[in-house]
Amino acid sequence: MFRKEGVKMNRQPLETRDFINVGIFTATYFVVFFVCGMLGYIPIFMLLLPLVCPLASGIPFMLYLTKVKKFGMVTMTGTICGVLMLVTGMSWQPVISGIVCGLVADLVLKSGDYKSASKMVLSYTLFSTWLMGMMYPLYFARESYFKDMVPTYGQDYVDALMSYTPPWSFYGLIVLCLVGGFLGAMLGKSVLKRHFLRAGIV
Amino acid sequence: MSQQTLWEVQGPKGFKLDPRTKLILIFTSGTILITGGQEGWMLWIRPLLAFLPLVLFGLLGRWQAFLKYSLLYTLAYAAEFYLLPNFARHIGFMGFLATGIVGVFTRFLPCWAMGQYVVQTTTVSEFIAAMEKIHMPQGMMISFSVIFRFFPTIKEEFSAISDAMRMRGIQFKSSFKNPLVFLEYRLVPLMISVVKIGEELSAAALARGLGKDRKRTNICRIGFTAFDYVVFALIVLSWFGKVVS
Repeated sequence: MFRKEGVKMNRQPLETRDFINVGIFTATYFVVFFVCGMLGYIPIFMLLLPLVCPLASGIPFMLYLTKVKKFGMVTMTGTICGVLMLVTGMSWQPVISGIVCGLVADLVLKSGDYKSASKMVLSYTLFSTWLMGMMYPLYFARESYFKDMVPTYGQDYVDALMSYTPPWSFYGLIVLCLVGGFLGAMLGKSVLKRHFLRAGIV
Repeated sequence: MSQQTLWEVQGPKGFKLDPRTKLILIFTSGTILITGGQEGWMLWIRPLLAFLPLVLFGLLGRWQAFLKYSLLYTLAYAAEFYLLPNFARHIGFMGFLATGIVGVFTRFLPCWAMGQYVVQTTTVSEFIAAMEKIHMPQGMMISFSVIFRFFPTIKEEFSAISDAMRMRGIQFKSSFKNPLVFLEYRLVPLMISVVKIGEELSAAALARGLGKDRKRTNICRIGFTAFDYVVFALIVLSWFGKVVS
C-alpha cells in the first residue's frame, strides 16, 4: 500500500529543495559558461570554446555534483541549459544535446551511487559535449550558416573560418570538449578540496 | 458604501505584456536577430525587432532604460557603419579583432536589451502565474523561477565580489598573466555565496509552503490584452519573414 508498483525502493522523488538546487546551480553554471562563450562569437575564438567553456564552468558544476544525490537533477540541468540556449537564439539542437548529455551524465552518476568522485569527473567530462549541439549549424547546415554570416563579418572572415573547419574538425572539437570537460572537472575538484571544504559548504 | 469587494483583481492595464508573450518575444528576438540574414523581408524585420525593446521601455515609462539602450544602440551602430568601414585600411589582426567584437556587439545588443526588458518588467509572481497557466510541472516551474530570479542576483554578487577584490588589488588587468588565478578569486567567492543563498532560498520557500500539493494563490495581474495581440502580430510577421527569405 505504501509502495507503488514497479518503483524501486530507493528511488526518491525530487523535492522542493532539489529543484531549488537545480535552479541555482544550473543558473550559475550557465552564467559562467555563457560569459566564456561570449568570447566565441569572435569567429576565430569560436573554435576554442569547447576547451574554454567547460574548463571554467567546471568549478560551479563540480560543487553542484556534490549536492546531487537523486536521479533527474542533472538531466534537468542539461535540459534547462539547452532551453536557455534556445531562448538566447541558438536554435533547437542544443536542446537535444542538452537532454541527451544530461541524461548520460545522470546515469553515470547514478552508477557510482552519487558518491564516487571519479564518476563525477567522468560525468562532467561527458556532459560537456552538450555544447556540440551549438556547432551543428556550422557543420551540418554550412551554406546557410556562412551565408548569414557574410553581412556582419565580411566575406574574408567567412572564407577563413570555412578553411579552418573541414568536416573532420567536428570530431576534433568533440575531443576538445572532452579535454576541456576533464580539465574543468579536475580544476573543480581541486578548488573543492582547497576552498569549499574549508568554507564548510561541501 | 458601494458594493465593492475589498480585493478586486482586475486584468492587466495599458502596455503591460503577459509574461508568456515576453518569453516568446525573447525567443523570437534571439533566433531572428542572431541567425537571420539580410535579404528581403529581413531588411525590415530585423531593425523592427531590434528597436522593439526601446519602444517597449518607452511605453512603460522606463526612461532610464530607454536612454541607456538608445545610447548603446547609437554607439554600436555608429561603430559598425561608420568607424569600421573607414578604418578598413587598418587591416591586420587589430582590425580583424575590432570588427569581430563590434559585430558581436551589434548582433547581441538588441537581444540583450529585450532580455533586460523582460527581466526588469516581470516579477517572479507574474512569471510563476504564467507558468501555471501553461501547466508546467511544479518541479520545472520551481527551477525555472529560481533561475529567472537568480540571474540578477548572480550579477549583483559578482559586482560585489569584484569590488572587494579590486580593493585588494586583484584586478581584471593583472589577471591576464594568470587567468586561473582570476577564476579562483572571482568564482570561488561567488560559489560560496551561491550556496549560502541557496540554503536561505530553500528555507524561505519551505516556510511559504512551496512544493506542497495545494495550488498556489496568486494575485498578480496577467492575461492577454490588445497590446499582446499587437505584439503577437509582430512576432508572426517576423517568423513569416524569416521563413520566406
